[in-house]
Amino acid sequence: MATVNEVIDTTIDDPGNRTPLVIGGHDYGSITRLVCGINESKTPIAWYVAMLASLSLLGMLGGLVGYLIFTGVGVWGNNNPVYWGFPIVNFVFWVGIGHAGTLISAILFIFRQNWRTSINRFAEAMTIFAVVCAGLFPGIHIGRVWVFYWLFPLPSLQLSMWPQFRSPLLWDVFAVSTYATVSLIFWYTGMIPDLATLRDRTDNKILRIVYSILSLGWTGSARAWSRYEKAYTLFAALAAPLVLSVHTIVSFDFAVSQLPGWHTTIFPPYFVAGAVFSGFGMVLTLMVPARQLFGLKDVVTIRHLENVCKILLATGTMVGYAYAIEFFIAWYGGNMYEGFAFINRAFGPYWWAYWIMVSCNVISPQLFWFKVCRTTPWLMFTISIFVNIGMWFERFVITVTSLARDFLPSSWGMFEPTWVDYGMLVGSFGLFFTLFLLFVRFGPIVAMAEVKSVMPHPHSPVHDNPQAAADHA
Amino acid sequence: MSQEANNSEPKLLGLMAQFDDPDSLLAACEKVRKAGYTKTDAYTPFPLHGIDEALGIKPTILPWIVLTLGIIGGFTGLGLQYVTNADWYPFIISAKPVWSLPANIPVIFELVILHAAIAVFIGMLFLNKLPTFSNPLFRVPEFARATDDKFFLTIDATDEKYKPNKTRELLDGLLGQTDVIEVFHDPTPAELPKIIKFVGIGAAVVALIPPILLWRALYQTSTVPRINPIRDMDIQLRGDTQTKSPVFADGRTMRPRIPGTVARGEWVDPIMLTGIVPEAGEQNVLFLQDEVPPAEDEEKPAEEEKPADDQPAEDKPEAEEPADQEPMADAKAAEGDPAEENPVEGEAPAQPEEPEPNWVKIAPINVTNATLERGRNRYNIYCSVCHGLAGDGDGLVSQRALQMEQPTWIPPTNLHTDYLLIQPDGKLYNTITHGIRKMKGYGDQIPAEDRWAIVTYVRALQKTRTGTPEEIPAVEMKELEIKGQ
Repeated sequence: MATVNEVIDTTIDDPGNRTPLVIGGHDYGSITRLVCGINESKTPIAWYVAMLASLSLLGMLGGLVGYLIFTGVGVWGNNNPVYWGFPIVNFVFWVGIGHAGTLISAILFIFRQNWRTSINRFAEAMTIFAVVCAGLFPGIHIGRVWVFYWLFPLPSLQLSMWPQFRSPLLWDVFAVSTYATVSLIFWYTGMIPDLATLRDRTDNKILRIVYSILSLGWTGSARAWSRYEKAYTLFAALAAPLVLSVHTIVSFDFAVSQLPGWHTTIFPPYFVAGAVFSGFGMVLTLMVPARQLFGLKDVVTIRHLENVCKILLATGTMVGYAYAIEFFIAWYGGNMYEGFAFINRAFGPYWWAYWIMVSCNVISPQLFWFKVCRTTPWLMFTISIFVNIGMWFERFVITVTSLARDFLPSSWGMFEPTWVDYGMLVGSFGLFFTLFLLFVRFGPIVAMAEVKSVMPHPHSPVHDNPQAAADHA
Repeated sequence: MSQEANNSEPKLLGLMAQFDDPDSLLAACEKVRKAGYTKTDAYTPFPLHGIDEALGIKPTILPWIVLTLGIIGGFTGLGLQYVTNADWYPFIISAKPVWSLPANIPVIFELVILHAAIAVFIGMLFLNKLPTFSNPLFRVPEFARATDDKFFLTIDATDEKYKPNKTRELLDGLLGQTDVIEVFHDPTPAELPKIIKFVGIGAAVVALIPPILLWRALYQTSTVPRINPIRDMDIQLRGDTQTKSPVFADGRTMRPRIPGTVARGEWVDPIMLTGIVPEAGEQNVLFLQDEVPPAEDEEKPAEEEKPADDQPAEDKPEAEEPADQEPMADAKAAEGDPAEENPVEGEAPAQPEEPEPNWVKIAPINVTNATLERGRNRYNIYCSVCHGLAGDGDGLVSQRALQMEQPTWIPPTNLHTDYLLIQPDGKLYNTITHGIRKMKGYGDQIPAEDRWAIVTYVRALQKTRTGTPEEIPAVEMKELEIKGQ
């Protein structure tokens, strides 16, 4: 098989002569071997170590959820007036993380950004697992977990009552569950051809049955591909507005209330920008070590990482703009409560959270103006960790500071997280990484079919010499 | 290639050419289509652009399916919210209308996306006839690379243009082709093993059990208490009647009613309940409290709204000048006895003058024969023991007490005294309710309706002494005459 681009200058940035998306002289077969090799090789020790750590955190999360359910939500630090503490902070944080996946698969697909093909599978998996973590928190925050189904408009035999559809909290139920469902089938649809590849390669009988069932008998027929591509485009067209709507609706939880610091129209776009920012931060956090560990440097190139860094820079700056505009409008709007809420955020009892947020979210991504930061993996990784921390604190600042200091000083109160709060935050990472490690071990972590379709076609032997084709074969 | 004739040989399904690169495949597809073959297909590891035209694949109807489902999703969202929130369970939040479109947009939007996305997924699988786990191509060893790095072109043996040798020649002559493979029908039996069938039927039957049990539990009566896995507030700790409660400072489990409150559904007209017409601007609930409110001694026009239209009441309206300026003490004296502190008979006790409330003059109930009958019945039960069957104050209890010369006994009032004749109905009623002097209150024992019935019966008793023959209806008069009275 013909190989492509033997000598690659990966520093080229001329739009007319961009670095290819796949480097290292790969052909179709070697891409398959590279990606499937991750699943087919012997499980590395590092995987077991990581899995053990994740599982122990997951076990802790499970124990804490059980403790919470049997004891009641009083084990959290949520109090009067701070009814929304860590659980909601974690929920918004994890939903935000999820956004990058769908954004990469849908919006970048619509914009024909071919570089997304190397990282979209990875990011979509991240989306699904982040939404799982996000869904956990409101689920247990409702208190009586066993009647969670009251959230859904189910025919009610005993109660003869229905959910209140004018509540943003119910919109959340619809938005997040729709988002989870659509992301899941989008992700799965994208995986079908790659699962077929795994099916056709495996010698293990059990795995072969599992992959056969999962790949639904996919053959790669051109007629099937034609409908598949149409379906994928439709998915992208549906998921693009969906991804924007989800965090908009999450922001309504806050914006539709009357609380100073929450009741602002900038919340929907600001939340969406923040979500994209945190999602790409997490993509980078996961991708930098993964490409190293799994030898994916030819598929996930520095150019890919650089693009992600540029998005981080853009969205980080948008988030910084939102912080500034919130302050400005609080002053310009002349509402004394609003003005106080923001001054209090920066200089009140939670000043440390505010300044962690600003330095992590606004200042640290500014390093990406420098090319050296955009091309040095360990530096990106460090900044992406800062972004994750900063975005968690952003949700903390929004949620807690407004509740702790509302209109009347008589109804002020500080929020004091308990060990259960901390345990659940850490434990949710255990859940996330457990799912993720399972996926990297058993699933196709790079969309092989899509990567192959954006590779330069090998030089056709048909057009110059039929003999050459025979030689190659 | 005449496998059709030979049954021992597997049936040929078609021919398949293998290619190494996509461009050769595209050129080959073009060529095969131009040769007139229609039952063709290409197999590639990734979607190949231009192959739709090369193979002559028609555009899919998938977008229309998605559009339809999207519209259905929109109306589902709209209808769901309208029906549940505006019709079945309407409730008003912050004075907002029960139905307003803007608040319902987010859910409609999400349901449009959800329906459309599921339509994309199911529709794509359905149009592609997936899942199909059995495919003769999977038996061709070379075909495993169709999902890796090889490209295949097939021509079905059922194609109209298919001629064993000619088609083979065509494929052999394709540029870039590396192999031509025959695809045979899968000879292994297509049925599932029998055991799977039985297991499937068994599982289906077992799956029916929970819904049937659920249905039974919901629609059948039972003598045993229902199973309540999540008790919530259905079953909880409770304080039984007459037990001590550790929760309240006074230790009472049965909580007294908070003064001035009226339980839902227990609203009764205060006039009916107290026999007092409230002053304008006065709060009705005050009358529900046990203490008698200080009422003005302004005289009120007679009650017209109650058509108290019977003989006992008839004489009352004229008999005006109720207890207005009359002090309570007078009434007591007139009735024959002072309160215990004042054992001296006939002497007006030196009590501060208490203004009389604004008594209802005529019993605020419809007086019929049934009322009178009821009144007599109740009177005979509760009152006659002291006041006597005819109201003369000579009941059996009284007779006995006088016989035994009980020192504290005060003879009951004769109901035919002038003082009682001019008393407004409301005051009489109040006396029955709260008692007077030695007489205890009967408010707790006799419902308000019955007390009023007693009042009307007392009026009837009085009429038996004060009435004139003209007042007796003609029919009854005749009857009396017959009886010889």
